[in-house]
Amino acid sequence: MEQEKTELLKGTLDMLILKVVAFGPIHGYAISQRIQQISRDFFQVPEGSLYPGLYRLEDRGWLQAKWEDTETGREAKFYSLTRAGRKRLSTEMVNWERLSEAVALILRAAE
Amino acid sequence: MGWLRRLFHKRLVEKRMDAELRFHLEQRVRDYVASGMNREEALRRANLAFGGLEQIKQDCREARTENRVEDFLRDFQYAMRGLAKDRRFALIAVFTLALGIGATTVMFSVIYNVVFDPVPYRDFQRSIVFEMRDLTSTGDKGGRDHYTIPEFLAIREQNHVLEDIVGNYQLDVLYADGKGTRRFLGGYATANGFDFLGVPPILGRFFSPDDGRPGSPLVFMMNYRLWQREFNGDPKILGETFFLNGKPRTLVGIMPQRFNGYGSDLWLPTDLSLGADGTSFPVKDPPVIWALARLKKGVSLQAAASDLDAIMHRLAQANPGELYPQQFKLVTRTLLDFVVGDFKNTLYVLLAAVFLLLLIACSNVGNLLLARATVREREIAVRASIGASRGRLIRQLLVESFVLAAVACVAGCLFAYVGLKGLVAIIPRGPIPEETVIGLNSVVLLFALAIAVLTTLICGLAPALHVARGNLQLSMTGSGKGTGGGLRHGRLRSGLVIAEVALSIMLLTGAGLMMRSFFTLTHLDLGFNPEHMLYAQVAPAADERYDTPVKKKLFFEQVLGRVKALPSVLTATVSLDLPPLGGAGSEITVLDKPQSQHRESMVDLCGEAYFQTLSLRLLRGGVLSETDIDSARHVAVVNQAFARAYFGSENPLGQKIKFNIFDELPETPHNAYFQIIGVVTDFRNRGLLEPPSPEAFLPYTITGFGDRVILARTAVDPKSLLASVQREIWAVDSNAAVTRSGSIKDLLAEEAYVRPQFGLIAIGVFAGIGLALVLIGIFSVMAYNVALQTHEIGVRMALGAQRGNVLKMVLWRGLRLISMGILMGVLTSLGLTRFLASQLSGVSPTDPLTFCAVTTVFLAVGLLASLLPARRAAGINPLVALRYE
Repeated sequence: MEQEKTELLKGTLDMLILKVVAFGPIHGYAISQRIQQISRDFFQVPEGSLYPGLYRLEDRGWLQAKWEDTETGREAKFYSLTRAGRKRLSTEMVNWERLSEAVALILRAAE
Repeated sequence: MGWLRRLFHKRLVEKRMDAELRFHLEQRVRDYVASGMNREEALRRANLAFGGLEQIKQDCREARTENRVEDFLRDFQYAMRGLAKDRRFALIAVFTLALGIGATTVMFSVIYNVVFDPVPYRDFQRSIVFEMRDLTSTGDKGGRDHYTIPEFLAIREQNHVLEDIVGNYQLDVLYADGKGTRRFLGGYATANGFDFLGVPPILGRFFSPDDGRPGSPLVFMMNYRLWQREFNGDPKILGETFFLNGKPRTLVGIMPQRFNGYGSDLWLPTDLSLGADGTSFPVKDPPVIWALARLKKGVSLQAAASDLDAIMHRLAQANPGELYPQQFKLVTRTLLDFVVGDFKNTLYVLLAAVFLLLLIACSNVGNLLLARATVREREIAVRASIGASRGRLIRQLLVESFVLAAVACVAGCLFAYVGLKGLVAIIPRGPIPEETVIGLNSVVLLFALAIAVLTTLICGLAPALHVARGNLQLSMTGSGKGTGGGLRHGRLRSGLVIAEVALSIMLLTGAGLMMRSFFTLTHLDLGFNPEHMLYAQVAPAADERYDTPVKKKLFFEQVLGRVKALPSVLTATVSLDLPPLGGAGSEITVLDKPQSQHRESMVDLCGEAYFQTLSLRLLRGGVLSETDIDSARHVAVVNQAFARAYFGSENPLGQKIKFNIFDELPETPHNAYFQIIGVVTDFRNRGLLEPPSPEAFLPYTITGFGDRVILARTAVDPKSLLASVQREIWAVDSNAAVTRSGSIKDLLAEEAYVRPQFGLIAIGVFAGIGLALVLIGIFSVMAYNVALQTHEIGVRMALGAQRGNVLKMVLWRGLRLISMGILMGVLTSLGLTRFLASQLSGVSPTDPLTFCAVTTVFLAVGLLASLLPARRAAGINPLVALRYE
C-alpha cells in the first residue's frame, strides 16, 4: 500500500527536487509525479513536505518561480533552477555519491 | 532580495500560495478521475492525501525569510506595546541601564583615546625610548635617559634592532624681532625626526635629509601653538626669515594643532655636531640627547634592550668614568608607556569599577524583568499552550529586553556625552599627551552598542529562560501570586539582590580606600609648611653680564631685595630646587672617613633665609649666615637624615664633606670640602611619599651654574603676588626669563594630588550611582515581596499577628538578604582590593576602618530601603487583603 512506501531520507528531498527541476520548468504537482515515476513508485512525496521544501529552496535562491499557462491552459507556478541552484545540485550530488559509496563499503565489509 | 518585495505584497503572496496548492489538488483529482475513479471519491482521496491544508500553508510561510522578519517585527511591536503599558517599569529600567551603559562608555572612550589612540604618529606601537638604569643606586631614581652624542651615534650605527632613530635635545632659542628679545623653547632634532612621526605639516614642508648639515641653508619649523599665539596664525610668515640666536633662519613648515612631538615651540634640524648654531655645553660630551626609536617589525622590547645594552656596555668599557655607573642595564619602554605610564593603571581600575556598576544595573533590570515575568506568567502559559514554541517565547522576551537596552543605549550615549565633558574637565593632563583627543567617536559608539547587546543577554536571558522553563500547568491553574511560581522567582530575585549588594560593596570599598588614601596624602606632614608659599623659577639672560658667580649673585641680591620689599612678602630666598619635589644629588666623600661606604646626598644651593622661609627648625649648630652667602664660604647645613645616615651618634658639626659631582662640572668648586655648621629638621625632599633623604644646603654663591628659584613666604594668597614678583624681576633685568611660577600648594596639587583626585572623584561617582541603584533594587524586591504576600500577611493578622511582628518579619527578611550580600562583598573585596594597591598610598588595601565604614553605610542603606515596604506590610488591613484575592 501507499503508506508502506519508503519515507524519504531527511535532506534528500531537496536534492531530488533540484534534480527534477533541472530538466526544465515544472510545477509542484508535476514534480511529485515525476519523482514517483522515476523512482518507479518507490518514493512518494507528501504535499506537506513538498511545498514547504519548494518554498525553502526558493527562499534560499536556488529555485525561481514563474506563473505560466500549462498545456491545458490553466495557470500554474513553474519552478526552474537558478545558477546558484545548479551549483548546489552538483555539490549535493557529489556529497550523495560519496555518502552512498561509503555506506556501500561498510555494508560490504560487514558481510 | 525577493523576500523584501514579498514582505510588502503579502496579500498577493498569500493568494498565490493558495492558488498553487489548489492547482495541485485539482491536478490530483483530475488524475484520479482519469484513472477511472468517480469524482466524489477522487475529491475525498485527494483531500485525504493532502492532509491539513492550513498546516502546509503555515510550514510554507515559515520557510520564508520575510515571515521570520515579520515575526521579529511582531515581537518588537508586542514588546513596545507591553512596555508602553507599564511605563513606570520601562522608565526605571531604561534609566538604570542608561546609567550603566553611559558610565561604561565614558570610561571606555577615555581608555580608548588615552591608551590605544593617544597620538597621531605613525607606527607608534613600535616607537620606543630607552633608559640606562643604575643597578648600584638604591630606589629607581638612578640612571639616565639622555645620551652623549658619541653614544647616540654608536647606537645608530651598531644596533641590529631599530628601523629608525631620532636624536633630539632642547635648548632655549632667543628670538629678536627688532622690538625685543623673546625666549622660545627650541627642539633640535635630527632631520629624520618628522618623517619618523609621519604627521604632515599644515603649511610648508618637513626637514629634508640635507637640513642641519654644515653649509646647508638654515631653516626651522614652528609649533601650531606658537604660530597662533605669537603670529596670530598668519600663513604669510611661511618662507620668511627670522633671527634666531642671532642668525637668520627661514621658516619652512608649520605643524598642525594635533602635533606636539619633541614638545617644543620651534624645531631646528641638527646633525648633532657640537658647537654648530652656537649650541654650547658646559662639558665635553654631555649626556643631553634624548632618543626616540622605532623597532624593526617583529623585534621584541627585550630583544631590543639586550642589543642596545651590549652597545652601551662596550662604550662603558672603552670610556670608564662618571658617565657610566659600575653596574647598569639598558631598559626599553614603548613611547606610549613612557608617556601614559602608571596612569594606565588608574584607568583600568576605573574601567573595572564601571563594569561592576554595569553589572549592578543589569541585575537591577534583570530583577525588574523577573518581577514582570512573574506577573505575566499566566499570559505566557496561555501563549505556550496555543502553540508558541519555547524558542519563540524566549525570543519574544529577549526582544523586550533588547528594546529596553536599545533605548537605554541612546540615552546612555547622551549621558556619556555629558559625563565625558565632566571627566575631561578633571582628568590630569600630565600623563596624557597633548595630542590626545578624548571624545565620543565611532569606535566608542560601536562599543556602546555592543554593551547594549551584552546587557540584553545578561539581564534578559536569565528571566526569559526561567519563565520558559516553568511549569505551564501550574501557572495556568495557580493564581499567579503567592504560591509556587512566586517562590521560585523569589529565590532568583533574592540571589540577584545579594549579588548586587556584593558588587556595590566592592565598589564602595574601592572608593572608600581611595578616599582614605587621598586624605592621607593631602594631610601628610611634609616637614615644612607649604601654605602661602610662592615660587618663581628664574633664568638670567645667558650673556656676559652673568658669566661669573659674583655677577649672578648681584643679580639675585637685587631681585631678592625687591621681592622682600613687596607688601605681604614675609621672607624670601634663593634656592635650586622646588620643595618637596626633589632635585640634584651627588655621591659624597667625608674627610677622614673610609671611602668604602657609598654615600649619597641631595644638594640644594640656598640663600640665608631658606630655613626661615620653609620654617625648618634648627637642631644643632647654626644656619647659613649672610656672610657665608656673601663670601661664598665652603660651609654646609645638613638635614637630620644626613646626620643620622652618615654620622650616627657622632657629632656632625665640624665634619668636612665633598660633593663628587662638583668635580665633574666646569663652574663648580673642584676638590672642595664643605664644613658642616648646622643640622636642621627633615622635610619631604624627594616627593610626597618618599621618606626624607639626606640633604645638604650650601651657599648659592659657590657657583653660577644653573637657574635658580625664588621662594617667598607671603601673608596673602601667593598667586595674587605673582605679577608683582615678575615685575620686580624684570625691573632688575628685562631679559631675565621667569620660566615657571606659582604657589607651592598648587604645585603640590598639580604634581601629586591631581591623579589620585581624579581617580577618587570618578570611582566615587560610580560607587554613588551603584549605591543608588542597589537602593532601588532592594526596595523593589522588598516591595514586590510584600505585594505577593498581601494575602499571607492578611491571614497572619487575622489570626492575631501584631503590626510590630509583621514589620519585624519584613525587615528581618531584608536584613538577611543584605547581610548575605555584605558578607559576600566583603570577602570578595578582601581578595580584590590588592589590585588597587598601585592607586593607594599610606593605606593598606584591607584597611579595617574602610571596611567597617562601608559595612555600616550599607546596613543603614539596606534598612532604609526595606523600611518603606515593611511599613506598608504592617499597614495591611486583613479584611481588605483577604477579600482582595
